[in-house]
Amino acid sequence: MRPAESERIEEMCEEIWSLTEMGDNTVRAVVSGSKLSRADEALEALTGQGLARIQADRAFLTEQGQVIARAIVRRHRLTEVLFREVLSLEENVTESTACEMEHILSSQVADSICTYLGHPPRCPHGKPIPRGACCEVLRKELRPLVVPLPELEMGKEGRIVFLTAAGQQTLERVASLGIVPGRAARLLQRAPSVILEAGRTRVAVDPEIARQIFVRRDPAV
Amino acid sequence: MVSSAARAADCAACAGSCQRTAAAGLVPEKVALVGNPNVGKSVLFGLLTGRYVTVSNYPGTTVEISRGAMILEGRAVPVVDTPGTNGLTPQSEDERVTRDLLLERPCTVLQVADAKNLPRALALTLQLAEAGLACVLCLNMSDEAESLGVSIDVELLSGLAGVPVASTVATRREGVARLRAALRHARVPALHADYGRPIEEAVSQMVPLLPPGPVAARALALAVLSRDITLGPWLRDRMRPQDLARAEEVAAGLARSLREPAALAIQRRRLEAAGELAARVVREGRGALREQASLDALTTHPLWGYPIAAGVLYALYLFVGVLGAQTAVGWIEEGLFGRVLNPAVEAAVRAWSAWDLPADLIAGPYGLFTMGLTYALAIVLPIVVTFFFAFSVLEDSGYLPRLAVMLNRLFWVMGLNGRAVLPMVLGLGCDTMATLTTRILGSRKERRIVILLLALGVPCSAQLGVILGMLAALSWKAAVVWASAVAGSVVLVGWLAARILPGEREEFVMEIPPLRRPCLANLLRKTAARVGWYLKEAVPLFLLGTLLLFAADRSGLLGRLQRALQPVVTSLLGLPAQSSEAFLMGFLRRDFGAAGLFRLAGQGSLDPVQAVVSLVVMTLFIPCVANLLMIVKEQGARAALAVAAFVFPFAVLVGTALNHALRAAGASL
Repeated sequence: MRPAESERIEEMCEEIWSLTEMGDNTVRAVVSGSKLSRADEALEALTGQGLARIQADRAFLTEQGQVIARAIVRRHRLTEVLFREVLSLEENVTESTACEMEHILSSQVADSICTYLGHPPRCPHGKPIPRGACCEVLRKELRPLVVPLPELEMGKEGRIVFLTAAGQQTLERVASLGIVPGRAARLLQRAPSVILEAGRTRVAVDPEIARQIFVRRDPAV
Repeated sequence: MVSSAARAADCAACAGSCQRTAAAGLVPEKVALVGNPNVGKSVLFGLLTGRYVTVSNYPGTTVEISRGAMILEGRAVPVVDTPGTNGLTPQSEDERVTRDLLLERPCTVLQVADAKNLPRALALTLQLAEAGLACVLCLNMSDEAESLGVSIDVELLSGLAGVPVASTVATRREGVARLRAALRHARVPALHADYGRPIEEAVSQMVPLLPPGPVAARALALAVLSRDITLGPWLRDRMRPQDLARAEEVAAGLARSLREPAALAIQRRRLEAAGELAARVVREGRGALREQASLDALTTHPLWGYPIAAGVLYALYLFVGVLGAQTAVGWIEEGLFGRVLNPAVEAAVRAWSAWDLPADLIAGPYGLFTMGLTYALAIVLPIVVTFFFAFSVLEDSGYLPRLAVMLNRLFWVMGLNGRAVLPMVLGLGCDTMATLTTRILGSRKERRIVILLLALGVPCSAQLGVILGMLAALSWKAAVVWASAVAGSVVLVGWLAARILPGEREEFVMEIPPLRRPCLANLLRKTAARVGWYLKEAVPLFLLGTLLLFAADRSGLLGRLQRALQPVVTSLLGLPAQSSEAFLMGFLRRDFGAAGLFRLAGQGSLDPVQAVVSLVVMTLFIPCVANLLMIVKEQGARAALAVAAFVFPFAVLVGTALNHALRAAGASL
């Protein structure tokens, strides 16, 4: 298989994975949403190799296909977190580079990045990052730079990097109070509820929600 | 961020409605006060409008809206005070009302901002600009900002935002004259945020599909793209089906290309834009770094917060349970109604009608006046007035959210979040009203749990007064047994309900405003508004309840029920037969039932164990008629029946268990 061909396979697996997450994995959506040229042929190649199957006009990954997709999606989303949140790069830069990096990174490097970032469960867009071998052991050899809000020192400030709250409603509610990625948040209290201050607005949240707000510590602290 | 070209585009899109209001120099036709929560809007509203204010619920909601009028150059201009909001894409019933009010008809917006927190206010100003609404910006609480070292270049802000800006300190009546003068010069803010390519493209595709309305199409388009489902009905009434389908396609297309919810991307950009503008006009001097003030920190302290909460609740009890329920009720019920009004009405009715039936209906033992109105006006009204006053103090001082923080974990066990503290505390005043305010809770599941717990184990202040009086005659051990049995039942039932009822607990997210000294005029206005609500909504229920009881008494149903109840009372609960009457009365008035027990105890017919058992059963017993009718109104007859069918056997079960446990242990109380 030529290298370009394996990239096409990986891209297609990633596409089906992403659309399945959104519940929109119809063949039409897969083919029209793909940035590959002749996406229909790529999809055919996938089914031919037993990586995907079509059922009732929907594309599904087989177990084999899922293995490929999980690895590529993991590398893509980890790269996004690294670029966007730690290196503070713009979306248009991160997206194109992440698309290239996802095919190059070895799983070892991906695990190192994952550990460095504190095993982030979600990408900057709120989508889940498939877990890797490193997440199972949760080694803490590298002091993570990005931590859940309650792990900040009391009274210290961190910049919100991403929120992983499950419900969109919760996300929107905290956003309307000014808790969005990019803004500074200060931890005022951990129990009985977590209290944080973003700007001059003070908000109390469940500890569970607070743990879904990830902040980047000031490295100088 | 500033772009006059974009502003012109906004104006062209808003179907002519804003030209009328945006024309500077004219007295506005109508003014709406809009602002983030806790910025002192209602105090300012009081200053602007003076005495002639009506408070009503926004149709179909429990959200209170104050309306009044201000005199501008000899003309009375209607003013409406909207609930605090963070944006025009609503996250709560309150915010929805504000959005709907602005969507209803065009008006000049007086945006009230907390001068300390300008970026957050400007994010809202930006949305008002997108809606094409003419605005005046009022930087309130500028004294607090000053003391924190925050200074704002008002001239520069006014120039950049393109609207008149006035600094005020509403609590000291400063700057109000300037603000009134500024209202003539209200303009659509010259603020514009560029949301980036995919969103802006979707907006331009969306705009031509949308119907004309009092707000600019850009704001509507952004709301639709944010998947604001609350707009659904409004749009469906005004759009052709094919346009609606096309709009849905555009929104879905954007969602696909964004890779994050559009609402978040939009809100993020708004906050960025507002932050950039604020950074140009705000100067933070020394003292800007604020540490939590000591008292403020103590109120939510993991240890000290609890004794403080207990102290606050005890003060609440002293004010409502003692001053309201005992002192004031004593004067009004025994004095005014008992000695003057009721005898007079009875005499008048008997003189007017020779028949017993109409006379009894008005003035008999279950009479509409002698029981229904007496109960509503003589017993509950004083309690309601004192309670609402105390409740407004808790609200305006900013303490309630702190109480919610302290109780959040306990409520979590019962499938609720800290927000439920509001109806639960309100239940200590009147369960009927508390049942209505459960509408503030986020999910249907939480609403049902709170309604059940209110009916089960939250004694209203009238009942609590009598119960505590009776416990005082026993011993502290009796009080502990009573309190633990009731509290244990509430937590246990809450815990079970959380597991059995379908649905989700809403996650706890609550803004904590700074602690403030409440403003008396505002407290009185709020109390008056709520008492007015009580008179309108709850009094008819008391009359209906009385009517039902009257019918039950006349048809002999009451007597039969009493006899049917007797075996349960004597064998299971080990209580004397006469107490069954007290329990039946407790259904009409929870405190009346307790009073029946009080009388029995006074006659020496109850030993201490019997007294405690009967009090526990009475507390847990079926809610009063008015409360039950309110449950019917809020949740339907089936739900009310289910609550009654659960609470009654459960109360008997707890009472039976307690009776046997205390007897077996040979406890002396």
